[in-house]
Amino acid sequence: METPELIKDGKRLDGRALDGLRPIRIMAGVLKEAEGSAFVEWGGNKVICGIYGPRECIPKHDASPYKSLLKCRYTMSPFASLEEHGRSGPNRRSTEISKVIREAFDSVVMSGEFPKTQIDIYVDVLQAEGGTRIAAIAAAAVALANAGIPMKDMISGVAVGKIGGQLAVDLGKAEDNLGESDMPIAFTHRGKEIVFLQMDGKLTPEELSRNIDAAMEASDKVYALQAEALRKSYDSEGGQELEM
Amino acid sequence: MERIVLPGDVVWEREVFASGTWVKDGITYAKVPGMLRDEKFIPLEMAYRPKVGDNVVGIVVDERNAGYMVDLNLPYNGVIPTRKVRISLRLGGMVYGKIAFVDEVGNVDIGEVDKLPAGKLITVPASKVPRIIGKKSSMLNQIRDISGSSVFVGNNGYIWIGQKGNMQLVMKALDLIIRRAHTTGLTDQVAKYLDENR
Repeated sequence: METPELIKDGKRLDGRALDGLRPIRIMAGVLKEAEGSAFVEWGGNKVICGIYGPRECIPKHDASPYKSLLKCRYTMSPFASLEEHGRSGPNRRSTEISKVIREAFDSVVMSGEFPKTQIDIYVDVLQAEGGTRIAAIAAAAVALANAGIPMKDMISGVAVGKIGGQLAVDLGKAEDNLGESDMPIAFTHRGKEIVFLQMDGKLTPEELSRNIDAAMEASDKVYALQAEALRKSYDSEGGQELEM
Repeated sequence: MERIVLPGDVVWEREVFASGTWVKDGITYAKVPGMLRDEKFIPLEMAYRPKVGDNVVGIVVDERNAGYMVDLNLPYNGVIPTRKVRISLRLGGMVYGKIAFVDEVGNVDIGEVDKLPAGKLITVPASKVPRIIGKKSSMLNQIRDISGSSVFVGNNGYIWIGQKGNMQLVMKALDLIIRRAHTTGLTDQVAKYLDENR
C-alpha cells in the first residue's frame, strides 16, 4: 500500500501542528447508577467510563485483607471502528489494555483504605480513531475522582510518536497505522511520574527523551481539561447531561 | 473565599490531619475532590467508611445463630449480635442503629437497634449526608416539620421515609440538597423550595 504524505508544509493530515492536540471534551458524572463516571471525546474517540465500588470482592479467595483489588475492563464496541475490532468482548488487545490501565491506577489509588473489597473501572470505547487507551485513562482518572475513591494524584497522558520522519504529539488513526512509531504515555500530574508507557516502532534514545518532554507538556493540557470537567460538575446544579 | 481542590493538589503547606487529605513530607494533599472554605477542607465526594458511633439505616437480610445480617450499603453486611442486642427482627424489615464496633477489615457490629415500620428506603451518596442533616439537625428538622413525614438518615447513605406525610416532597427536597450540596445557604434554599411546593 502506498503511504500517504503524513506531513505537508509542517502541518498534519487534519491540519494540526506537530505539537497540537485534537479537540478534547471531558464531562464528569454522566452516569446515574455508577459511583463515579466520565465521558471523553478526544478527536474522533468517544469513551465512557463508570466506577463501581468499593464493593464485595468476587471471587472471594482473591480478596486481600490489606487492600482493595483494582479491576479494569476495557472494551471496544463492535461499532467503534472499522477493521479488526468488529466484535465486542474480551480479546487479546482489550485484555492487554485493561491490564495496563489497571497497573497505571494501581500506583495512585489508595487501596489500603478498603480491605477485602474490589473497585471496578469499566471503560467502553464507543467510537475509535487512534489513541483510545489514552482517552480511556483520561476518562478513568476523572471518573475515579468523581466516585470519591482516594487517590494520591491525578493521571493524564497523551500518545506521542514519529510520523514522516518527525516527532509529533497525539497521533490519530492514520498516523498511528502508517507512521514510524507510536508511544502512548501517562504521567501523574503533580509528581510527573511515568505510570504508563508503551511503544510501537522504533525511536532513538534521543528521540525518546524528546518525546517524553513533549508528552509531559501535552498531558498538562489534558489535565487542565480533566480538572475543568471535575470543577464544572460542581457548577450551580451539579451533574452533567450527556450530549453527543 | 472558597476553591475546589482535586486529588493530588496541595491543600496546606504544613501537616494537617483532616478527612479527605493525606500528608507526605510535611505537606498536606487532597485525596478526593473537596472544597477549601475558610481554611477548612470539606470533601465533596468520598466513598463511605464505617466509624464507631455512626447512625445507620439498614435492611435485615439474613438470620443466623449469632445474630442478624444487615445490608448497610457497604461492601459487606453488618451484624446485629443477638447476644448483646435483645431484639427479634423480621427478614426484610428495616432498622435504625448505631455502629458499635468496626474491626480492621471493616466488619461492622450494630448496637442500640430500633425497628423501623414499613416505609420507603432511598440511597444517597454518603458524602452528602452531613448536608442532609445540617447543623444540629437543622435541615432534617425543617424537612420533617414541613412535610409531616418521619425521616431517618443513616451516615451510610440509606434514608428511611415514613408513610405518613408528603413523601414526594421529602424526596424532591433531598434531591435538591444532593445537587446543591456544595453551595452556601442551603438551609434557606431548601426552606424556600419546601415553602413553594408544600
